[in-house]
Amino acid sequence: MNVVVLAKQVPDAESSIEIKGDGERLEIQQKFATSLFDEFALEEALRIRERHGGRVKVITLGAGKATEVLRTGIAMGADETLLLDHAAFLDGDGYATALALSRAVSKAPCDVVLCGKQAVDDDRGEVGPMVAQFLGLPHVGGVVKLDIAEGKASAESLAEAGREVVEVSLPAVFTVQKGLNEPRVAPITGVMKAMKAQIPKAAPEDLGLDPAEVGRAGSKVQVKRYLAPKKRPPVQIIGGEANDAAREAVRILADVERLI
Amino acid sequence: MQPARQCGFSRTWKGSFRGWLVDTILVFVETKGDAAKKASLELLSEGRKLEQAGRFRMEAVVLGPLPAGLKDRLLSLTETLVHIDDPLLEAYTPEGYAFALAGYAGEAGPKMILAGATQMGRDFMPRVAVLLGCGIVSDVTAAAWEGDPVTFVRPVYGGKVLTEVSCNGFPVIVTTRPNAFGISEEGSRTGNLVERQAGVTADQVHTRIQRADAKPKGKVDLTEADIIVSGGRGLKAAENFRLIEELADAIGGTVGATRSVVDAGWRDQEDQVGKSGKTVSPKLYIAVGISGAIHHIMGMDTSKVVLAVNKDPNAIIFQYANYGIVGDLFEVVPAMTAELKKR
Repeated sequence: MNVVVLAKQVPDAESSIEIKGDGERLEIQQKFATSLFDEFALEEALRIRERHGGRVKVITLGAGKATEVLRTGIAMGADETLLLDHAAFLDGDGYATALALSRAVSKAPCDVVLCGKQAVDDDRGEVGPMVAQFLGLPHVGGVVKLDIAEGKASAESLAEAGREVVEVSLPAVFTVQKGLNEPRVAPITGVMKAMKAQIPKAAPEDLGLDPAEVGRAGSKVQVKRYLAPKKRPPVQIIGGEANDAAREAVRILADVERLI
Repeated sequence: MQPARQCGFSRTWKGSFRGWLVDTILVFVETKGDAAKKASLELLSEGRKLEQAGRFRMEAVVLGPLPAGLKDRLLSLTETLVHIDDPLLEAYTPEGYAFALAGYAGEAGPKMILAGATQMGRDFMPRVAVLLGCGIVSDVTAAAWEGDPVTFVRPVYGGKVLTEVSCNGFPVIVTTRPNAFGISEEGSRTGNLVERQAGVTADQVHTRIQRADAKPKGKVDLTEADIIVSGGRGLKAAENFRLIEELADAIGGTVGATRSVVDAGWRDQEDQVGKSGKTVSPKLYIAVGISGAIHHIMGMDTSKVVLAVNKDPNAIIFQYANYGIVGDLFEVVPAMTAELKKR
């Protein structure tokens, strides 16, 4: 059972982000972490290998700190990595990113593709389903429980209407979320191994792609500018004893805000 | 798959002298039993406004079963309702829905395809984008429809920053966050119903629903709720969530929770608001006993009005609230519930 994990290194949730140059660019504090949901994907891949054998490969796309997510994967126990490493790959929309990643996945046969339900920087949640469609594979989104068998899998997800269990033939793509597992802490031997590991790289031509098809050039959606979210006015504290404050709060919500 | 027809000619002139200038927009209407999802109704309202402005004509598209009552309701909200049916669309599958919608879009040649950024919309619309070879803008919170190209606002980094984006080619697929737009009740139309077969084949669909555990009836999903009452660690114990439930009942709201109380097993994962849970945009968000960790703020900062109840006057949540009560939630919350019941 060969498993591919698509993972991403993202700014830490606590990192400060400032909008610079009249909305042209962002200045992000250099503090990074594996995207929250991708950690569940890494963990699940290792558990599948423990049960069914096979290999776990982690793929990412990006420059600079992007490699860290691959080293995290090796430290946790992944067998192989691949870095899509070329300036042309960068700043892509969901479509361009998914196209590159799908080509990288298809370089070797695999049974299961796992990724987080969305990366917690761009919050697009597009890449998993798009990779599946580019590869002509089914996908199950927002998975919280996954049982792999020969040639098929049973995946439980949290649908809006309630929990849902879906049976799907393999190979398939699964986007995963919190609740699936508890990601392991990498053992120190794994961390040592990861530090020394050579990271294989691929450029667009290695994937049979023209640089114009990927990254910013291949994107169909462009970011025009960055804006600050609307600031709330300063909080209005409702004073008095509990009963008075409660009555006043209900009055404001009903008569001033007209919400109830 | 045929590429989308890149032309602006409208198929129904309806005598309009501007007919040749009018672009089509498709609104995917997500159904849930006998009702349309809120985000879909919001988009139908936006679409009607755009029709009135004369730049677009709208077609509402329903996939799979269409109950009679819902059909009549939708026909009062749109000039054209396209119902695409097929045995393989009986239950939702991302592949089946994507093939059916992309197939129709390839024929209708729309400028935009709109859907709610619900779980379903965000699940299958990216596949439609790949099938049509077009761009997708997900989880939009605002749109400048009059622009050319149309620009959209979508939050990134958990809402710390907003991006203004556009797509030069077309069609463009857009999913909009529930509660991003208003619903104008104007159901006076008598639309045309167009019945279609999707032509989805069994070998195109590889998933099958084995089991679906429905939530208790009448429970509004957090992402669609107008009012949410959320509880945090300040409640001290799982059983004290009863106070939150009573307040939610009295005010007509849905119960939410923070990560720490979900991790403690007091509430189910489905109730979690925040970075690793749900992102919500209700009209009113009442945060009770919640300190305001950044992970939580990321899930609720687009709420229109926020009321925070916390005994700590320095709690970060007050920086993200319109109204605050500094006090003991065990006194304030029951008093609010009692006051609401009097009204």
